[in-house]
Amino acid sequence: MIEVKNLTKIYRIPHERHNTLFEVLIGYIKHQMDWEPFCALDNLTFKINQGEIIGLIGKNGSGKTTLLKILSGITPPTKGTYTVKGSVAPFLSLGIGFHHELTAKENLFLYGAIIGISRKKIEKQLKAILDFAEVERFQDMKLKNFSSGMQARLAFSMMIQSNPNILLVDEILAVGDKDFRPKCISVFQRYKKEGKTVVFASHDLKTIREYCDKVILLHKGKMLAFDKPENVIKRYEEI
Amino acid sequence: MKKNTFSYYYNLIRELSWADFKLKYYGSILGLFWSFLKPFLMLLILYTVFNYFLKAGIKNYHIYLLLGIAIWNFFADGTKSSLQSILSKKNILQKINLSPTAVVISAIVHSFWTFIITLIIFFILFFFLGFTLDLNAILLLYFIFLSFFLVLGVSFLITPLYMKFKDFEHIWDVFLQMLFWATPIVYSQANVPQKFLRWYMLNPVTRIIADARDTVIYHSFPDLKQLFFTTIIVLVIFITGFLIFKKYSRQLIENL
Repeated sequence: MIEVKNLTKIYRIPHERHNTLFEVLIGYIKHQMDWEPFCALDNLTFKINQGEIIGLIGKNGSGKTTLLKILSGITPPTKGTYTVKGSVAPFLSLGIGFHHELTAKENLFLYGAIIGISRKKIEKQLKAILDFAEVERFQDMKLKNFSSGMQARLAFSMMIQSNPNILLVDEILAVGDKDFRPKCISVFQRYKKEGKTVVFASHDLKTIREYCDKVILLHKGKMLAFDKPENVIKRYEEI
Repeated sequence: MKKNTFSYYYNLIRELSWADFKLKYYGSILGLFWSFLKPFLMLLILYTVFNYFLKAGIKNYHIYLLLGIAIWNFFADGTKSSLQSILSKKNILQKINLSPTAVVISAIVHSFWTFIITLIIFFILFFFLGFTLDLNAILLLYFIFLSFFLVLGVSFLITPLYMKFKDFEHIWDVFLQMLFWATPIVYSQANVPQKFLRWYMLNPVTRIIADARDTVIYHSFPDLKQLFFTTIIVLVIFITGFLIFKKYSRQLIENL
């Protein structure tokens, strides 16, 4: 279950970034405000029940990623509260957490440690993970020689091994090829059957319409709608 | 495995430092050997200069110097690698819920193992040269423990500064250079003028090195009051560092 109350996130956008001590001192002397506020999320309140698949739509820069980042605990909100009950697997960017100079297998151990899976458990499931990602032949190859699609598949395959209660996903379907996409979707559906919550941001309205129980529409940081897919998508097409 | 449990952090720190280790020596011929070569080259240089040119006149100077260098290198390398750690993992930290605290600790773990192995080599040399230990030497374990928390505490204090100001790296370099000479590594604290001594002894690295030498080389038990005071200094540095880091690290990572 995810509950969000009056959630607001304000970023400070610096006019000119002051990175060295000297520049900061100059800034103090000149006494000017060197940043302006940018409201990425504006007073959001909503509740997501366990077992729902929620779509997150909105134009670029509407706050989708920021919302997912806050829910996964990466960035703190400026105001408001959020409660997330259950183990969360944030899946915001594919292949992040991977290191290019390490091999696929080594990366799995490292990534596993980050999301909370022990080395032993990964060794046991290694074949399944590599199989799902379709990269079994390349397990001892350095990741820098992988294509971005292969990296994405590996990351996704690893993520679903962590068996979370809540999955937060940011536009990953855009990367996979036509065979991988249905695979992801089938995982989402399996999750739904198992009573898990999935929140996923996407620009693919067709998928959203087909699989989501409810959809959140964000526009310039505000939540314009939180309703059945058809209604929300109609609204989205109007703006 | 649940997050926020000991086994989660243990596993995370182990994997992070193991990956760092593999990346660090990738493509070098001597690899791991460099870590141990460094303190001994340093020993060779300092020994030549201070024993033959400047005539420091300290008995068993090689052993004396090596113990100092081992502890100092752990302090200098540990803090330096922790400075780099957050910045080099910037991408991950901004996109995955990865504990910044674990990243800093894992950066120190590598320096810590180097330190331990340098100490083992130190003791091989120590016994080879015919020195002996007595029961007091057990205290060395306590000094290793203290140095670990000192390095960790200082790292927690300085990494936020580095995240905020990129030129802190240079400041820290110069500061380490200064601290090297303000610590009795190549000379003895007995050479320090009496009027400075009070301030001089506030430096926790000095206190640890001096006491470690007393117990290992001179078989004497350090003054308990002083030892207690050292522990307090280290604890204060560690706790303030930890609290500051906990409070500001996420915010600073967001703005990197």
